Amino acid sequence: MTLIGAEGGGSESDSDEIDAERAQASLRAWEKKYQSERAWEDLEEDPLTGRLRVNARAVELRARERRAKMASAALRGGAAKGMMRFAYVVVDLSRAANEEDFRPNRLSVVGHCAAAFVREFFNQNPLSQLGIIVARNGVAERLTELSGSPEAHCAALRNALDASGDFSLQNTLNAARTSLKSIPSYGSREVLYIMSSLATCDPGNVWTEIQATKAAKVRVSVVAVAAELHVARRLSEETGGTYGVSMNADHLDDLIMAHAPPPPLAEDATKSCLVQMGFPQKKHVSKDALIVGTRGDYVCPRCSGRIDELPSQCTVCRLTLVSSPHLARSYHHLFPVPAFKEYASRNVSAKESGIVALECSACLASITDASLASECEHCSNVFCFACDIFIHERLHNCPHCSCATHVESRKKAS
Amino acid sequence: MRFTIDDGGSAPIEVFFPYDSVYPEQVAYMREMKRALDARGHGAVEMPTGTGKTITVLSMCVSYQLAHPEVGKIIYCTRTVPEMEKVLEEMKALQAYIEKELGAETARMLSLGLSSRKNMCVNPAVADEGSRESVDGRCRRLTASWVRERRLERQARDAGRTVAAEDGEGDNEGGVSCCDWFEEFETAGEKAVLPPGVYTLHDLRQFGRAKKWCPYFLARNMISFANVIVYNYQYMLDPKVASLVSSALEKECVVVFDEAHNIDNVCIEALSVNLRQQTLENAGRSITSLNARIDKAKQTDERRLRQEYERLVNGLAQQGVLARGGGEDMLMNPVIPDDILREAVPGNIRRAEHFVAVLKRFVEYLKFRLQSTQVEQETPTAFLQHCAANAGIDGKTLKFCYDRLTSLLKTLEVVDMDEYNALSLVANFAALVGTYSKGFALILEPYDERYPNIPDPVLQLACLDASLAIKPVFERFQSVFITSGTLSPIDLYPKLLGFNPVCAKSLEMTLTRECLCPMVITRGADQQAVSTKFDVRDDPNVIQNYGRILVGLAQTVPDGIVAFFVSYSYMENIVSKWHETGILREIMQHKLVFIETTDVVETSLALDNYRRACNCGRGAIFLSVARGKVAEGIDFDRHYGRAVVMYGVPYQYTLSRILRARLEYLRETFQIKESDFLAFDAVRQAAQCVGRVIRSKKDYGLMVFADKRYNSQDKRGKLPGWITSHLHEEVLNLSTDMAMQVARTFMRSMSQPFSHDDSKKSLFDQEMLNRLAAEGGYREALPAQARKLAPEIMMHI
Ligand code: SF4
Ligand SMILES: [Zn+2]
Ligand SMILES: [Zn+2]
Ligand SMILES: [Zn+2]
Repeated sequence: MTLIGAEGGGSESDSDEIDAERAQASLRAWEKKYQSERAWEDLEEDPLTGRLRVNARAVELRARERRAKMASAALRGGAAKGMMRFAYVVVDLSRAANEEDFRPNRLSVVGHCAAAFVREFFNQNPLSQLGIIVARNGVAERLTELSGSPEAHCAALRNALDASGDFSLQNTLNAARTSLKSIPSYGSREVLYIMSSLATCDPGNVWTEIQATKAAKVRVSVVAVAAELHVARRLSEETGGTYGVSMNADHLDDLIMAHAPPPPLAEDATKSCLVQMGFPQKKHVSKDALIVGTRGDYVCPRCSGRIDELPSQCTVCRLTLVSSPHLARSYHHLFPVPAFKEYASRNVSAKESGIVALECSACLASITDASLASECEHCSNVFCFACDIFIHERLHNCPHCSCATHVESRKKAS
Repeated sequence: MRFTIDDGGSAPIEVFFPYDSVYPEQVAYMREMKRALDARGHGAVEMPTGTGKTITVLSMCVSYQLAHPEVGKIIYCTRTVPEMEKVLEEMKALQAYIEKELGAETARMLSLGLSSRKNMCVNPAVADEGSRESVDGRCRRLTASWVRERRLERQARDAGRTVAAEDGEGDNEGGVSCCDWFEEFETAGEKAVLPPGVYTLHDLRQFGRAKKWCPYFLARNMISFANVIVYNYQYMLDPKVASLVSSALEKECVVVFDEAHNIDNVCIEALSVNLRQQTLENAGRSITSLNARIDKAKQTDERRLRQEYERLVNGLAQQGVLARGGGEDMLMNPVIPDDILREAVPGNIRRAEHFVAVLKRFVEYLKFRLQSTQVEQETPTAFLQHCAANAGIDGKTLKFCYDRLTSLLKTLEVVDMDEYNALSLVANFAALVGTYSKGFALILEPYDERYPNIPDPVLQLACLDASLAIKPVFERFQSVFITSGTLSPIDLYPKLLGFNPVCAKSLEMTLTRECLCPMVITRGADQQAVSTKFDVRDDPNVIQNYGRILVGLAQTVPDGIVAFFVSYSYMENIVSKWHETGILREIMQHKLVFIETTDVVETSLALDNYRRACNCGRGAIFLSVARGKVAEGIDFDRHYGRAVVMYGVPYQYTLSRILRARLEYLRETFQIKESDFLAFDAVRQAAQCVGRVIRSKKDYGLMVFADKRYNSQDKRGKLPGWITSHLHEEVLNLSTDMAMQVARTFMRSMSQPFSHDDSKKSLFDQEMLNRLAAEGGYREALPAQARKLAPEIMMHI
């Protein structure tokens, strides 16, 4: 036990030369496990042309699986959801983002996911605001301020995609926190990290910043690209956010998109209060009108100022401006449509017995692939895949449930 | 929960287990233990850390004790104090559970830990002493029986007269020199008992403070009443301490050695002595002062010396050296008790001055031997012959040296043992060399191999046979278990330790996810083999490739990484090369780098900062050495160690003469091939190193074996089963880039959420155990790994 020293060459046996056969075998085993890209599995040969094509069905199946997961996550949240979210997305553009474990590299995959997320975020939360912070060279760059326009964010992000230097958790957290401090008390404060780096290089103690963030009731979630970092996991646990690590590019997308629907609110994160909002009218400006400032199409009901797009804030009187569909869309998060059941799994016998004429009760097209069809739990209507997605992601209502009489009559008829 | 273990043999045992669920391997472990306990035999069981070994052992032993009151105490030996406290904490949980189930009355048990005075003393004037020896020394000075007697006398005198003259002995501290805690304890006498319960060292100290009783002596007194005793290996294995502390334990005890993978080395160290120039010089000085004391004693207290002489004439047994009393306990004979001659001390050393003269001659003789400029190696027999011819001291005289010295020091009422440490080391040497002719070797090296220009002569009496020290334990106690996470190959340990186990088994870990990922990297990205083999280890290509492994890992693995090297010199060499070639800079881009040094303080500082870097997310790499302090005792669990790299095969320094002598002895006595032993020893160290990263089933870690030699069955096969079962074909013989791919996937999949429901699959809860007991349909209920164990465990539950 006490002997520490260089080993001598004398008594080591030389018998352990690697057997070439074994070496080959293990190489094959390794290749089998790691060198097959997932994409290969989805290729199939077109029976007519003989060309290879991507198996659409597999892609769709995966999409459904993903959506079911998201829906159940949304349902689990319970009643309290923030309708006005103020969120910062922190995109890690440190050195680690240049790694090439995703095709073509992490940077483009992350950029793509982030842009898609920004659009989806506003789609689902029209009343909310979002800003982007970029972590690069050890500092936090505030790319865009909190605002409501998805395209501005996406454009800024597109131009900023270039990675170098270290990642600093403390600096980015500080930047987000100080900016979120000034938002109104009814808004929920969130930060979403998309993190490639496996380490953080901080000027001071990151834990004091984490405590401050916790005290400021900011919910921090982290989506890590590569592996679990202790401090990041603790950060999300402390602040009530979620933590996820991606397995591959698709999974990364899922994990990021899971943050688009509003998360359940902690008891004391926001105060409920009445918020004054304006519903501007659309009035085209006549060509000859002389206008100082923007020539937007909308008119503020309070000060008659002009605004480019909705939802936003009036540039003159700072009134929150929305349209009623926006409000309605946000509202649906409180009462999401439950995920539809898979149709095929239950009705195998029916399929076998030859009832082929299966048609979608929404678009009335006949369903060719029964395994992709789904069924509403309440009204037992069957929908095709496209309608299923449309109902859950846009409509937020089951057309048959909301029209019970129609269902009754249909039953009588059959 | 409660369940029954029935192996079809003798009566089933109802086991009390303080948790709501039990791992299948824990049940398997208990069955093994039961078999050995039923047969009153010994056992060796390997079970990976993180599977709750301690509670398994305690539950089974205590439950067995409840069912069979004739079974004696449970003696749980650990290596370190923190381990000891952990065992006692588990015992507390068990005790609480049993009390809840059976009622406080039936479950009256006493469990306690015992450690040295340094860890137990509550006298602030003493406890603050730095080292263990000085605390012992100070305490003895306060509590030795003659010191106390003299003080009492003086107090009586003082009561009459005013001032008493100091009598100029070693205890010059006048009337104040007493330890209140000891006095109170003595006064309480029979009444000083611990009520039943579980006492950690901290609890004992607290109890001692409250009652004003010395916790150390209280604990030692209570050993004979305790049901469970937890203490250090030494108290069982080192004859010097064991005969003092453990001699009163009854035969029916159950002894457990935890973390016993290095037990053979502990045994060997207990019986080995190294003498250096410095020691002999100090011994010479002690002899002078001993002479002075004898002269003084002759003038003032002739009577004491005469009495001693008479005692010695009548034989050793009656002389009272072995009798215990007060706090003056000196270390006992270094020889195994059975080997001590029960004879009268030879005539030539009965008189104090004669004995000191013999000692003096012996020290002179040893000094003369140390002057040799050549390496010498001889057997004890040859040494004795040479000694008799040149110094005129025969073996029998040497054999008695230690006891004679103890007796003399006692007669002279010496309490300052510190001063005589060197001398007792010499006497220790003499006693061992005089007693044993087999299983030992004397090796004299005039200088350290590595620094041939600096003379540093050392005379080593090396014990070669691990079974010598542990034999009395196996013979004396009914059941002895050795257990650890790495005891592979499990059949070698019984051979090395010379015992016949009833059960020898290596248990695997049932896992719900593959949370450990061992892999063997055999070559760099350039396909050149990597190894620390002697002929290639300094090849710049190999060093470069080794560096690239670490760079790759630093990029792919978050938080902490530990790397183990085969030796300090190799680590220094490779790190400086990395520095030159810029690899170190590349690593530092991703993580901070900390290095273990031979300096304990420096190392613990480095460890501290390493942990801090892991906590704050900076990420760090700790470079360490196999067989070093860190490899043995520090855990790198959770984010403190997400990956561990073992660079090379940590062979012992094979040119060491002691190792050579031991190898030869092993071959001749036990027919263990040299290369087998070396490979076994190297692989167990490697397993020990990589095992530091997994401390529980919830944890996960990457284990990289970076040497092409690990790919051969001969090395790999010696790893413990819980590692080899994960060494699938696709993680063998990897090149660096392939390995990084594996690492990346592993890190990703381990970071996925892990629900408790999944972990239920590898657990038996009460309901499941009941159901399994009722019907035979257990197979479906178990995951694949557990199924392997199933037939034998489940048949009888
Ligand atoms: S008797 Fe006990 S309390 Fe007093 S000095 Fe010795 S160990 Fe400490
Ligand atoms: Zn306005
Ligand atoms: Zn449709
Ligand atoms: Zn419906």
